[in-house]
Amino acid sequence: MRIIRVLAVVLAGIALAASSAVAQQSTMPPDAKVYIIWPPDGAVIHGAFWVRMGLSGAGIAPAGVQKANTGHHHLLVDVDLPPLDQAIPNDHNHLHFGLGQTEARLDLPPGKHTLQLLLGDENHIPHQPPLYSKRITITVVQ
Amino acid sequence: MSTIRRRTLWLAAASVGLIATGAAAQGTNPPAGQPAAPAPAASATNPPRTPAPHDAYVYIGWPLDGATVGTKFKVWFGTRNFGIAPAGVQKANTGHHHLLIDVPLPPLDQPIPNDRNHLHFGLGQTEAIVELPPGKHTLQLLMGDADHVPHDPALMSRRITVYVRG
Repeated sequence: MRIIRVLAVVLAGIALAASSAVAQQSTMPPDAKVYIIWPPDGAVIHGAFWVRMGLSGAGIAPAGVQKANTGHHHLLVDVDLPPLDQAIPNDHNHLHFGLGQTEARLDLPPGKHTLQLLLGDENHIPHQPPLYSKRITITVVQ
Repeated sequence: MSTIRRRTLWLAAASVGLIATGAAAQGTNPPAGQPAAPAPAASATNPPRTPAPHDAYVYIGWPLDGATVGTKFKVWFGTRNFGIAPAGVQKANTGHHHLLIDVPLPPLDQPIPNDRNHLHFGLGQTEAIVELPPGKHTLQLLMGDADHVPHDPALMSRRITVYVRG
């Protein structure tokens, strides 16, 4: 009986530790929306181009700045959404705009590519609920 | 077909951006009638201005100059080579948008007024739904720093005219 109680306490402790290990996710208003203003889905583009990032019903803040209802853009290039409860990876497929930028110049090799925006909070963790755009496909030609 | 139309729109938007670059470049000169006061005298009355890189610029992505719009329409704030930060956040090369409606530029060495003609977007918003009475209106964006003071050089869009349908 006692062993069971001890076990229960230990298990509860593990559960607590686990919940605190998963970083606290920032909230966002339910009507907030992230979208790619340009290019449009299916666009055929010659050479380098600017991606314009749109956000409705919320604000932009640089990485490291804690303010309710704000975040900063991440552009996912040719990759699926990462886990939405962890910091967004930082590599060639996950571009961070931690200064609070809303436009980015992309120079991609010719061919089909996918683009998707994912908003991250001051610690680069997606919000709850996560704010991401539709994943669009573009074709780059020389 | 719609791709072509969209591309035309994009070209139009790009040209607005180009024009805005010119406007921003002009903004480096102090407006006429505002003598460049010596620094010590200026600091006594004017708040310090935050520097901005020379390739940064601000433009109105939507609506286009001369557009006819409904009484409620979206204004999209374009920012290039610069970041957005909420009011009160001090970070180099960032600022927040102010939308000037039916007014000329305010003094560029003072905090931007906060009233119906000078809308502040201190949360770091990059677009806004604006509601205006029917008729001719002007719109212009002016970037402000953590304390709502324009940067040096000031980052402002071209002043555009829109026609609100009756």
